[in-house]
Amino acid sequence: MTLLNIEDLSVHYGLKTVLRHVSFTVHQGEGWVIRGVSGSGKTTLARAIAGPDKYTGGLNISYDTRSNLPAKTLFVESWYRFTNLEGDRNFYYQQRYNHQQRRDTVTIARELELYGQTYALDHTRLQALITALDYDRVLDEQLFEISSGEHKKLQLIKALWLRPQLLIIDQPYTGLDVKSRGRLNELLNAYAREGGTLILVSNDTELPACIQHFAVMKNGGFELADAALVFEEKTLKPLPEFLKEPPQYTAPTLIDMKQVHVQYGDKQVLKDIHWQVNAGERWLLQGHNGSGKSTLLSLITGDHPQAYANDIKLFGVQRGAGESIWDIKKRIGLISPELHWYFDANATVLQSLASGFFDSNGLYRQLRYMQKQQLNELLKFLDLYDVKDELLTTLPLGKQRLALLGRTIIKNPQLLVLDEPCQGLDQQQTQYFNKLVDEISKNGVTIIYVGHFETQLPACITHKLVLQDGRAIENTRQ
Amino acid sequence: MANYFNTLPLREQLNQLGVCEFMSNDEFLDGVDALKGKKIVIVGCGAQGLNQGLNLRDSGLDVSYALRKEAIEEKRASWKNATDNNFNVGTYEELIPGADLVINLTPDKQHTSVVSAVMPLMKQGATLSYSHGFNIVEEGMQIRKDLTVIMVAPKSPGSEVRAEYLRGFGVPTLIAVHPENDPEGKGLEQAKAYCVGTGGHRAGVLRSSFVAEVKSDLMGEQTILCGLLQTGSILSFDKMIEKGIDPGYASKLVQYGVEVITEALKHGGVTGMMDRLSNPAKIKAFRISEELKTIMRPLFQKHQDDIMSGEFSRIMMEDWANGDANLLKWRAETGETAFEKTPAGDVKIGDQEYFDNYTLMAAFIKAGVELAFETMVEAGIKPESAYYESLHETPLIANTIARKKLFEMNRVISDTAEYGCYLFDQACKPLLADFMKTVDTDLVGKNFNEGKDGAVDNQELVEVNEALRSHPVEQVGTVLRKAMTAMKAIKTA
Repeated sequence: MTLLNIEDLSVHYGLKTVLRHVSFTVHQGEGWVIRGVSGSGKTTLARAIAGPDKYTGGLNISYDTRSNLPAKTLFVESWYRFTNLEGDRNFYYQQRYNHQQRRDTVTIARELELYGQTYALDHTRLQALITALDYDRVLDEQLFEISSGEHKKLQLIKALWLRPQLLIIDQPYTGLDVKSRGRLNELLNAYAREGGTLILVSNDTELPACIQHFAVMKNGGFELADAALVFEEKTLKPLPEFLKEPPQYTAPTLIDMKQVHVQYGDKQVLKDIHWQVNAGERWLLQGHNGSGKSTLLSLITGDHPQAYANDIKLFGVQRGAGESIWDIKKRIGLISPELHWYFDANATVLQSLASGFFDSNGLYRQLRYMQKQQLNELLKFLDLYDVKDELLTTLPLGKQRLALLGRTIIKNPQLLVLDEPCQGLDQQQTQYFNKLVDEISKNGVTIIYVGHFETQLPACITHKLVLQDGRAIENTRQ
Repeated sequence: MANYFNTLPLREQLNQLGVCEFMSNDEFLDGVDALKGKKIVIVGCGAQGLNQGLNLRDSGLDVSYALRKEAIEEKRASWKNATDNNFNVGTYEELIPGADLVINLTPDKQHTSVVSAVMPLMKQGATLSYSHGFNIVEEGMQIRKDLTVIMVAPKSPGSEVRAEYLRGFGVPTLIAVHPENDPEGKGLEQAKAYCVGTGGHRAGVLRSSFVAEVKSDLMGEQTILCGLLQTGSILSFDKMIEKGIDPGYASKLVQYGVEVITEALKHGGVTGMMDRLSNPAKIKAFRISEELKTIMRPLFQKHQDDIMSGEFSRIMMEDWANGDANLLKWRAETGETAFEKTPAGDVKIGDQEYFDNYTLMAAFIKAGVELAFETMVEAGIKPESAYYESLHETPLIANTIARKKLFEMNRVISDTAEYGCYLFDQACKPLLADFMKTVDTDLVGKNFNEGKDGAVDNQELVEVNEALRSHPVEQVGTVLRKAMTAMKAIKTA
């Protein structure tokens, strides 16, 4: 039977048309994937189906009254914002390292309990989901303390626990490691066997078996497609001249950590880390969700107060010797999912890139002539020049990420910290970005690259550090 | 201890009230140099204490925390805050004697006992910093003559001070040097360095005096910031219930309305707020705000007079001595109001709907901001100081109401503000009784524009726009807001 019927659906944001005359039908129990390049309208389509966004045309959902599953449509957004107990959403990304308002949000366990109560869900099913996604160890943590991958899992657990008749997931694999991706696919197949109807919005290729229908969005239009995913490879424009200059190193060893420990209460996040990064080395940092990667990086970027209690030398200077965090940050270009999550919502694309000169979250200072020149070169290089005056947050996720990537390299720093820089980017953009990293690395910049999938990494990597439960289990030259 | 302000001759009173200089960026080129390598000891580790300390340390300064012995032994929240973030923590006896700068960030009410305990331990020539001048000005605390006394007061909650710093920005900050305690003439340099250490120099710094800060801060908080927001909220809610508006809707409109409406105030001043209304609503709100100003002006003047004469502090300190009997009674009464007890309904109210259906609040806020500003300036306070203590802080307080209504507002603000707020509220409600009889649901609860054709008289509109834009609070505000570029938009429900 027909569950979802869409006829001539269009959506406008302000003066822009983002969906044009979309028509298609989804039957109960089907599995769909909707693909498309960044900005093609795939997320808009998903949001229109889930409501309450405004649209024109016909959109009908007829639930099966005999089904055991609740007559609901649930949309799992690719990004999710949580609030603290007082309904305040104004967090900042380093907050989980600053220990004060530890009881400001609820714990994960409590959050799930409240969710279960709201929808009168069966608790016996919850544990299986938690086990499958390896989620036991975060249950006692506060919402704002968990990493982006762990947030994603929380949304997925809630959705699969609720089992709505129609489930739409935007970028289901974002932030998940290889193991979790496999487990998620098993869970999605199980949901389909129970009669659930699934729509995934994703350009990933390792999809669950229950996905049998393929569609692609192009410039706001909808087309049926086949399983094979074809993307043209995008060629790199010539690198701006200023990025060909070798960075000015101030010390031969950029990072020198000895016996680093980080502990919150009883929970050990990092144990006995010894790590040295020398000028020109290009490191891959890997580890499962929650293994301590973000905490380790925050010690380097000046975002973690526990850096003062550990033996860490950055750029030749002992932490706590009277340097300011801005002295450290000016030598680093940083991008991470958290930085993006909390980035200034009022900044235009140009302001976002320009803020990289000052390491601020948003632009608060005047630009000099040379800085403006570099900005324009880089904007053109990244194909962002035409949207430079638009608000960053109004761009599709992939383009936002690209702008923030530009922010990390704008000042041509000594060290690039690229923490899952391709999260949210499609395959084509990821390839393009990795090529870009390879190209930039030719000037001798030092890189720390965090990435999940061995297949989608820049070729320039020379060293590798792998974390497991806060310990370094591999620390080698490639 | 005698009220310091009242010991001064009129000439000196006016002189100190008039200290007000909006500092330019190039005054901060020395960065944190004046405090580099100095031992900074913060007394108290609550929201302000912890977050300012984190910023100062991240700016390369040497920070530790002095706590009372019991707080350390019992591992209280302040001890945990400091040790969890790897700060050195010790007792007053252990840390104060070595300190070059002691920063007192304890609540007002404890200042006399804290400063009395700390002062004898401080080394010759050290500096004592406050974030509020009440203890010096109203309680008349005398500080040893060899010590330098400064004030650095970020005009935001502690968590915001930290968040803005990490963004690479800061929060607007007020600094001052106590003229009775600047023996070496180093006070201003140290205050500026402290300000750079917390990031305040990026968002606009106002040099003030202890006297100007106290007399304007007290006035702002008890009239427009807390007093009128409380009175306006309760009267609006009661009016909607009287007229049969759904209580859940009424509760939500009032709880979140002040936040949404004052968000426009934050970005564009009174003009920006009024421009969110339709033309007919704007003219109406303008007219009733003029009426409200006439009714409330004597009350604003009485508050300012009692603050200047020290009468307000006297009666409040009597209540402190009496175990806060009045404060606690009034707090309980606020908890019992119908608005407080009616939960916000599960209804969606759009951003613009808050303006269209709550025009009365825009009128209240315009009247309150302008009255507080005018009254302060008449009393000798400079326009820039008056702006910070009226318009600038209104959205910050409104944000607390959105979180958990008036009870939350009164919990978050200082005891001093809370005490003054109740005094104002009790006097203001009866004053407005006749006015409220003229108010109908077009001003509060329903869309003002409904059933009207939107036509206005050209000349009348020009006249109203002109009056809005030419008010002195708008003129000084336009300049000050430019310095606070990039103010973060608050996400609203």
